[in-house]
Amino acid sequence: MSWRGLLAGLASLCMVSSMANAAITQQEWAEYSARFVSAEGRVVDDGNGGISHSEGQGYGLLLSFLGGNRPDFERIWSFTQRELLLRDDNLAAWRWDPNEKPHITDLNNASDGDILIAYSLALAGAAWKEERFTTSAKSIATALGRSSVFAHQDKLLILPGVAGFGKDARPDGPVVNLSYWVFEAFPVLDQLGTGTDWTDLSRSGVSLLEEASFGSRKLPADWISAEASPRPATGFPAEFGYNAVRIPLYLIRANTGDKELLRRLRDGMTKEDGSIVLVDFSSGKETAVLRDPGYRIISGLAACVLDGTRLPKDLQTFAPTLYYPSTLQLLALAYIREERRECL
Amino acid sequence: MSVSFAKSVSVIAMSLVLAAPMSLGSDPKVATDDAGDLILAQAEPSAPAATPEVDESALRYFARQGDTRRLEIEIARLRALYPDWVPPTDLLSAPPQTDPELDAIWDLYSQGRLAEVRQKIAERQSADSGWSPPADLIDRLELAEARERLINASDLKQYDTVIKVASEKSELLTCSEVDVLWRVAEAFAQTNREQRSFDTYRYVLTNCENPNERLATIQNASKNLSRSHIDELLKLERKTAGIGEFEPFRDDLARAVVAEAGEDEKVVVPAEQLTRLEQLAEREKKASDALLLGWYYLRRENIDPAEKWFRQAFEAEQTASAARGIALVLIEREKFADAEGIMYRWRADDDDSRSVYLAAVANLLGTEPRPALSPDVLSSIVTEVAAAKDVIAANQLGWYARAWQQHETAKAWFNLALQWKSDDEEAAYGLGVSYFQLGQTAELAAMKQRWQGRSERIQLIGTEAQAPATTAPMVTPPQTATAAPQTAAPAPQTVQTAPDVRVRDTSAAPPRPSTSAPQVATRAPQTRSSSTSYRRGCSDFVHPETLAPEAALARGWCLMDLNRPLEAAQAFEVALRSRTDRVRSDASYGQSLAYLRAGLVNEAAVAATKARQEPSRTIELQTSILAERALGAFERGRYAEALLALDQRAQIAPERVDLMVLRGYAYMKLNRLGDASRVLEAAAGTGNRDAIRALADLRNQLNGQ
Repeated sequence: MSWRGLLAGLASLCMVSSMANAAITQQEWAEYSARFVSAEGRVVDDGNGGISHSEGQGYGLLLSFLGGNRPDFERIWSFTQRELLLRDDNLAAWRWDPNEKPHITDLNNASDGDILIAYSLALAGAAWKEERFTTSAKSIATALGRSSVFAHQDKLLILPGVAGFGKDARPDGPVVNLSYWVFEAFPVLDQLGTGTDWTDLSRSGVSLLEEASFGSRKLPADWISAEASPRPATGFPAEFGYNAVRIPLYLIRANTGDKELLRRLRDGMTKEDGSIVLVDFSSGKETAVLRDPGYRIISGLAACVLDGTRLPKDLQTFAPTLYYPSTLQLLALAYIREERRECL
Repeated sequence: MSVSFAKSVSVIAMSLVLAAPMSLGSDPKVATDDAGDLILAQAEPSAPAATPEVDESALRYFARQGDTRRLEIEIARLRALYPDWVPPTDLLSAPPQTDPELDAIWDLYSQGRLAEVRQKIAERQSADSGWSPPADLIDRLELAEARERLINASDLKQYDTVIKVASEKSELLTCSEVDVLWRVAEAFAQTNREQRSFDTYRYVLTNCENPNERLATIQNASKNLSRSHIDELLKLERKTAGIGEFEPFRDDLARAVVAEAGEDEKVVVPAEQLTRLEQLAEREKKASDALLLGWYYLRRENIDPAEKWFRQAFEAEQTASAARGIALVLIEREKFADAEGIMYRWRADDDDSRSVYLAAVANLLGTEPRPALSPDVLSSIVTEVAAAKDVIAANQLGWYARAWQQHETAKAWFNLALQWKSDDEEAAYGLGVSYFQLGQTAELAAMKQRWQGRSERIQLIGTEAQAPATTAPMVTPPQTATAAPQTAAPAPQTVQTAPDVRVRDTSAAPPRPSTSAPQVATRAPQTRSSSTSYRRGCSDFVHPETLAPEAALARGWCLMDLNRPLEAAQAFEVALRSRTDRVRSDASYGQSLAYLRAGLVNEAAVAATKARQEPSRTIELQTSILAERALGAFERGRYAEALLALDQRAQIAPERVDLMVLRGYAYMKLNRLGDASRVLEAAAGTGNRDAIRALADLRNQLNGQ
């Protein structure tokens, strides 16, 4: 049983804390934070012009929590709250640019960022018995549920952002992004009492993933029209891209247990040498081949979960590369150390 | 740093505690009303049941650091929290610091590195589980975080967040954070809670001392509050040596309203504010203030004060704007040459200046009798008209040249105007007249072909029915004139004296009746008085097609005032498209008058039927039209037609003496001498000199026979 399922009782909360310490080593977090977290608590997306965003702040909070580093968690949260959590509806503005004033250059939210922030705050609030964190977690999750979670044709969906994705906002709306379903967060959000059925949302995400199988590689698109049966949304690149690449990681970390789905995704995205492909559905061509350990570990992790295959040695060592793959690698390592030590 | 410093903090945050009066007792810091609104209320001091232990560590830290501003804020904050608390007098003689680690955290705090303060506190707590941060540090930190968050949200116009943060951290709302108070006030105003916004500003002006911030507060409030609330706030003004602290604001207010009124004549400026600005302008002699007044008066057709203020502005600072103002005044006074003169220097500065310059030029050229302009002036006019490709001014140059019998030059200008605007009827007409004048019959025929069905008067060029070219009446050129207009040519040209093929036999021509159209036209209908005849509104060159019917109507009357009847007729044509009966009726009337003034009687008659008229206007127009028709027929030697028109006119209006004289001459021409004698004797009986002269002519004719 993972720590993620153990939030109900006080005793287990202590375990959360101690197990979290084991998930990411002090050394790993120190390297990650030295490279990607500024002194002011800003998680810098160095692959994206040095901007910051709510997703990055959310990952920073989650990883510092998993690394057991409360001082850094405090630092990142302080920045997040003061600089991003400004919207009238209690959600985070998604884009922060160091070179602009005001720094927020897009006031829209990104629901995965909000989920990651609320989820990390809920974990930290429970583990460290800090009411500040729990209160904010509940406020964000409640606002997100109210503004962005909605029923559509018997399925509960979540908008990628409050503005611009709904039924009326796009010709083939609603448009969703399945990599914004941070599956592991939903049971935790459910316990906050937000008035939203996050478990139901989780189910519809898996169900959509089962349907979203495009191209010869049978992969989901980053942006999907949920107007009828899922298809790549118009107005977005029809591709399996940097967004969707993390979906198997999210499925595994949440222990959703759908091996068939996981196998299809793993097979579709993995080349023979273990590198990861991004695919353009309209041409059928590969748009990129990703060899960063942070991407390859997703496939390796899937192999471990599906077939008990050991994780290649070079993926077990963490050395920061770029913000995004480095984040994914630490999340993968944290899982395998907690749940699948036999693959190490 | 001394204790006296602490005393300077006289206004305390306590009264800003955000609480509904009912809920004050328990927790005065976090209180909202039922709607979740922030309430600014005078808080009662909480019951001093137990004297709280006041944490003065921050105070002492700031004192040691010499951080005056933060010390001041901290004293204000502590007083707000603990009304009975008295700032210690021994801030500097405090016990030596024994906690360098905490000092380091305070250091981060005072540098505004708030995230790191959080980090260091957590680090120390995880290293030393027995340690907890001073309550004061946490209070200060939370306050600073809230302040930043509030400012960020305010910058992003997230006003609900601003109010939420302020209501959670009411200690923010103190005189030492006036900027925060302004932002909260703005957030209230922007979320339709003006009363709350007003309360916030009132709080500042009631409690806060800093003179600069007080003045800035009323200025800031004026952006968010209604006039009546501003007036309420102005009552909180303090006076030093009899001078109110808000005087500069009142001055700005007067400037703003006069400036607005300078753009829109419907804006009414209270006398008090107008006087204030006038006194200010007299006292300080700022060009900008005088200009505001100039435009204000000009917009209201109050020419004398407008000129005074424009000239004062020009004296203070020679700017294009002041020059434009003076030039427009001069145009209004029909001193077109002076207007041209003052605008000359600024003519190319910007679009406005160029258009005022060209307005002066067009008026100057169109003046009758045509003025003899110096070669210098003409040369600069030519340069500017050519640079601006100004069709109307080019046409005026054409008519001007024609008036001086320089038909080749006139032709060149009309040609140019037509190149710039191929569908300009006036240019085509002018060119056609020039062709006719120069005997270029093939070109004239081609021109008529091109304008078939589009312009009646072009078809009539050279025919008997053609009225005199109205925009260029025959003016006998003065002896000296030949040299000057040459420069009016866009390119050097040989000035030819074309034969004037329309030589008229003037020997028996009656004196032109002084009445008829132009006089009638000055009796403009009431719609004119709606201040739309402001000349500045039509001395520029707006294409009438771009106007709404109402505006075109106003412009038509305005052009009539400028004696530009053909342009007026075009404007009235646009106005005729109105859906309003009244506008159409006025437009029809105006257009008829315009054609009458231009001598286009047939067009005037057609125009008069384009919309229903009041009976009185119908009679007015018909009598004018028939009088013009009679006159025109007489001038063309069609005496029977002249008499027919006079008879028709006599059926609807009594015959004027001048028309009786015309009738007499017509009878004479038709050799109906008895009729002539009868009517001229009756006319001469009124003592009319023209009638007496006509009677003498008749007797000469009788004697000659």
